[in-house]
Amino acid sequence: MSRVREGAPRKKYTPEQVAAIEAGEAAVDARDLLTQGALRTDPYKLRYIDDLSTIHPWADKQPRKELDSRVDYRTKARSLRGGADLKEQPGDWEYFREWSQFLRDPKTFMHANDERAYEAMRDESGAYSALAPELPKFNTPGLRYTRGEDEDPHMVRLMQQTGLTLQEIKRVRVKNLVSHRVVNQTRMGKIQSLYYLTIAGNQNGMLGIGEGKASEPEDGQRQAMMQAIRSMKPVPRYEGRTIFGEVEGKVGATELKISARPPGFGIRCQHLIFEMARAAGISDLAARVTRARNPMNTVKAAFEALTSQKLPEDIARARGRKLVDVRKVYYGGRVY
Amino acid sequence: MSLVNLAHVCSHLQNASKARLGLTSIPLTNLHLRLMLGLQKQGFISSVQLGGPSPPLPEILREPEPELPQHAEEVVRERPWELYATPEPKDADALLNPRSAETVAEDAWAEVGSHGRKTSPSTTTTSSPSPDVPKNAARRRLWLGLKYWNNDPVISKMGLVSKPTKRIWLNSQDIGKIARGFEAGYVKGLTRPGECLFVSTDRGVLEARECAEKKVGGLMLCRVY
Repeated sequence: MSRVREGAPRKKYTPEQVAAIEAGEAAVDARDLLTQGALRTDPYKLRYIDDLSTIHPWADKQPRKELDSRVDYRTKARSLRGGADLKEQPGDWEYFREWSQFLRDPKTFMHANDERAYEAMRDESGAYSALAPELPKFNTPGLRYTRGEDEDPHMVRLMQQTGLTLQEIKRVRVKNLVSHRVVNQTRMGKIQSLYYLTIAGNQNGMLGIGEGKASEPEDGQRQAMMQAIRSMKPVPRYEGRTIFGEVEGKVGATELKISARPPGFGIRCQHLIFEMARAAGISDLAARVTRARNPMNTVKAAFEALTSQKLPEDIARARGRKLVDVRKVYYGGRVY
Repeated sequence: MSLVNLAHVCSHLQNASKARLGLTSIPLTNLHLRLMLGLQKQGFISSVQLGGPSPPLPEILREPEPELPQHAEEVVRERPWELYATPEPKDADALLNPRSAETVAEDAWAEVGSHGRKTSPSTTTTSSPSPDVPKNAARRRLWLGLKYWNNDPVISKMGLVSKPTKRIWLNSQDIGKIARGFEAGYVKGLTRPGECLFVSTDRGVLEARECAEKKVGGLMLCRVY
């Protein structure tokens, strides 16, 4: 059976070539294939028997999509400049939409420091994954696959407790801020263990802190990390970049004051509060620790301060008065 | 104008709010009265009433039972909205407080005739002295209704800005700076949402923003948030 006559290859050859191939095939006796044909033994032979007439959905490399012949990809950008062109050619609106979508996509212009780009690379649809798609798993008794990470009982428990998926938990920014050795003196002797204080935040207004203590470092770290994720609470943010006004926190002898700052100010404060602000997604902040500066109490006091902000809506309801934010009133609201 | 007594009032209001009291009293002075009316205008307290050592009766018990008109049932059936009293148009002071403690206080002073205060003719003619208010001026107190929202007191902090030993007077430009959140004249700006600063001026006790708007300066009294 000639492969030229059927299917896709035919399109690739000119009629003359097809005629030549057909003549060649007609000249070869079909019985010769049976008597003389043999399987290849060279090193580049295929590992399976296939006449290569079909493209298997997962064993073969998929053919590239053909470019749309109607689209001139080089001049697309140029045609966007003139508004007159758009009106003349109705099809240009399609290109305009596609092109603006392409420009708005954070993946298009990716900067190494831009976390949104990395976020976009990790989208669930899998359309932009840098990795090859996973091979399908077969329910064959002879086959055994390695166990996935989601089998970890602690992680499963955390997922059940928080209602987050594994993907979301992995995306949480976790940072260990304090770690030291603590000792319990008993009559048998000293029992030492390791203490960890960890913060967790989704960089979008959620922040949590957790403490862990165990004789094994990994155990303590895991305890602290999971408690931090479990204790994540919303941190109110003004314009998604700073806090509402000024807040104070106090734990033990540690007292601190955290204040809002204008756009572009940055997080100018000590490292512990800096990390917490990063994890919560706050970008403009100033803080001052006024009394004791114990690291553990500083973190706890900052957490208390950030989560205990009073919102203007609540204040307005409590006083029965109208509160208006006038920051975006001037210059036609174009205030950044 | 004793700032010592004002400091006591500030601390007392903080303490009463922390103790979740619904009603509390402070000694009656002209300054206290003006400041409390300012607080009420800003929504920090719900009511200001003149009274004696014991709390005044609730408003419901003080008001006489309204007499029902004849054929009341028919009226209600036809015009049910008349069940709800429509507020009469009042002047600004009357709006602050249904019984207008200020008026009552002015009447009280007019009656006693102390301090050589000028008494406006309207107040002296219209009102009658309340039975709750004692004749002895030293026994009079202001009764304040405190407010709470979402399990939090509406007044969480209240403290003096001027001190008895160091009073601070500022002009309207400086007060404007403070209202915008900047420091001026050794007074920290209003940086918290909804923070208020009360100023004693020749036009009465005003909030800092009102001062900046009316371009009047004065003595910094206390900050509340």
